[in-house]
Amino acid sequence: MGYEMWTEKYRPRTLDEIVDQEEIVARLKSFVRAKNVPHCIFAGPPGTGKTTAALCLAHDLYGENYREYIMELNASDERGINVIRETVKTFARTKPIGDVTFKLLILDEADNMTDDAQQALRRTMERYSETARFILIANYSGKIIEPIQSRCAPFRFTYLPAEAIAKRIKYICEREDVDITEDGIEAIIDLSGGDLRKTLNILQTAASVGKTVTADLVYAVVGKANPADIREMMLTALNGDFISARNKLRELTRKYGLAGTDIIRQIHGEVFRLNIPDAWKVKLADFIGEVDYRLVRGATEEVQLSALLAKLVEAGYEMKKGAK
Amino acid sequence: MSSSPYIPWTLKYKPRSLSEIIGNEEAKKKILEWMNSWKKGIPEKRALFIYGPPGVGKTATVEALANDLNMELVMTDASTYRTEENVRRFAGRASQYGSLFGRGKIIVFDEVDGITGSADTGGLAAIIDVIKNTRVPVILIANDAYDPRFAPLRNLCLLVEFKRLSVTEVARHLARICAREGIVADEKALRFIAERSSGDIRSAILDLQALAQGRSRLTYEDVSWLAARDRKEEIFNVLRMIFYAKSASSAKSAVNMADVDVDMLFEWIYENIPYHIKNPPELAAAMDALAKADIYRGALKETGDWSFLRYIIDLMTAGVAFSWSRKASGWVPFKFPERIKIASATKEEREMLEEIGKRIGKKCHLSSSRAIVEVLPYLRIILQNNPKVGKRIARWLNLTDEMVSYILSMSG
Repeated sequence: MGYEMWTEKYRPRTLDEIVDQEEIVARLKSFVRAKNVPHCIFAGPPGTGKTTAALCLAHDLYGENYREYIMELNASDERGINVIRETVKTFARTKPIGDVTFKLLILDEADNMTDDAQQALRRTMERYSETARFILIANYSGKIIEPIQSRCAPFRFTYLPAEAIAKRIKYICEREDVDITEDGIEAIIDLSGGDLRKTLNILQTAASVGKTVTADLVYAVVGKANPADIREMMLTALNGDFISARNKLRELTRKYGLAGTDIIRQIHGEVFRLNIPDAWKVKLADFIGEVDYRLVRGATEEVQLSALLAKLVEAGYEMKKGAK
Repeated sequence: MSSSPYIPWTLKYKPRSLSEIIGNEEAKKKILEWMNSWKKGIPEKRALFIYGPPGVGKTATVEALANDLNMELVMTDASTYRTEENVRRFAGRASQYGSLFGRGKIIVFDEVDGITGSADTGGLAAIIDVIKNTRVPVILIANDAYDPRFAPLRNLCLLVEFKRLSVTEVARHLARICAREGIVADEKALRFIAERSSGDIRSAILDLQALAQGRSRLTYEDVSWLAARDRKEEIFNVLRMIFYAKSASSAKSAVNMADVDVDMLFEWIYENIPYHIKNPPELAAAMDALAKADIYRGALKETGDWSFLRYIIDLMTAGVAFSWSRKASGWVPFKFPERIKIASATKEEREMLEEIGKRIGKKCHLSSSRAIVEVLPYLRIILQNNPKVGKRIARWLNLTDEMVSYILSMSG
């Protein structure tokens, strides 16, 4: 049993080790052969290998000591564009030794930057493009401003297919000596929805908790990891229990640090999957949009989300009345 | 330490002259100009309408002004406005003749907000009458000049707004009082009291007296507990006035009785809505009113423009009250706001969580916030169920023992 997170232990080191995403890997390999990399945008959902691809590219480009030639920044962590600009300035001041003439800057969660920050980033990218190339990583490329997009080679990552994930699970179970049942594998695939990070986290947790990884164990682990999930919160509200729903909301934001905008996005996704009349789905979507807009304008997350939960309570009540 | 203990400091340190009034320079200038215009005959606007939040010195300004100009104040309050007859008796004669002793007179209607409902329209009409015909200066004082009922008054009056005082202004005044009382006070302690007052100098002075009287030194520790102070009974009455209000204006006036600032009162209302308002459409409407008040709260914070406060108050009091039938279903106790309890209890926890997220994120190529959501829950389960492995992983992630015990304390 390994003593690190498996997401790291089994993170591919070279482009050759990456499973799936063949087309992307082929393009990246051509960059390595040419010893030249344009600015890139890696866009796609979480756990699909964006950061991994960037690190593997760097490895293949610079060799074992690639860490000396790259810099990883996370736009959500670094406070403001000024920090990023200063870091880039120092980092890009010197040329690397060897036949690659530039350093690589990997900027994760770039879609969390404001438009103003992105404008500043664009200027920085232009200014230092001799000595530094940028790989911007984002969930939604649409949130990257047009002038940056037009200067970058786009790469679109997609969720991994179930077979690729099953293969990865089996490979790791073999290496780690983990007993896993077929339904266990299916359960993990089902719950992780094509997100490889989530897949490995669930697998590692289940494997360290029980002897054999079964579907039951997998569901128990995931249930514990997400004690109050958003769907459950919505169902509680629809059933008329506002106070419990609000407590679940508090748990999500306080204990699990979920941001209001994340919750909103997920609620919106769930609304259309709920078993309620379509007219109500539209009505709720309208209010969800309103709440999202208010949050952007600086309203209080919990108060606004509670108002939304109260709307769900009302929706549940009206539906019951209509059914009678 | 000087002074007999029983005089409220609001009285003891009441400004005697306009120059002693803190802040609101513009308003004071406007008032003085208007008073001076009376020397040249009856001005176009015979009345002044001073409005602004409680405790910013509206009445004190008028009193100080009369003192400076050596004029007699003919003053009355809400109790007089009930009937037309009362108003005439009070102001009718006074507004037509000078004072017996040759001093000039100022007629003051304080707490004009106190006029309630249609029963008082006679009183309001009588006030309008007095203003139209007065030969001496008339001053009206209220919290909110833009109440629709006052529309006919506004045209007749010169409007003067009093704004909330800044924390610095309030703190500076508190420091002056401490100096006079021989109290050595930390600046931080005074700023804390000032901040809590949200620009209401009267409540700030009363708080200071409660905390500092009899001491020779006032530290931050002496005052910080104030935040947790829980004047339950008082706040309960205020909440009852709001939730079960008979009229919109009585719901609104509850704010003035609250011993807590508007933000805190908002939290109390937010916490307690679902325990009192159970009918789903009514609950949704009440929460909606509160959520709208919250939008204006955001606007106020962003712009610093306190005029948004009136909408905040309208929506969080009258807006909530008139979202529902206001029929009590048995005795329902009020609950302390959870948001306040948790927010203050867990500032350290949040910092700890943030640092854990950062360390995990560093190893796993994630931002702190995503590490907290995507990795930490699994690490927690491993730590709880397989401590040996969990602790090794934690070490690999560079988490301290303290962080590990914190993670273990998070319930699942």
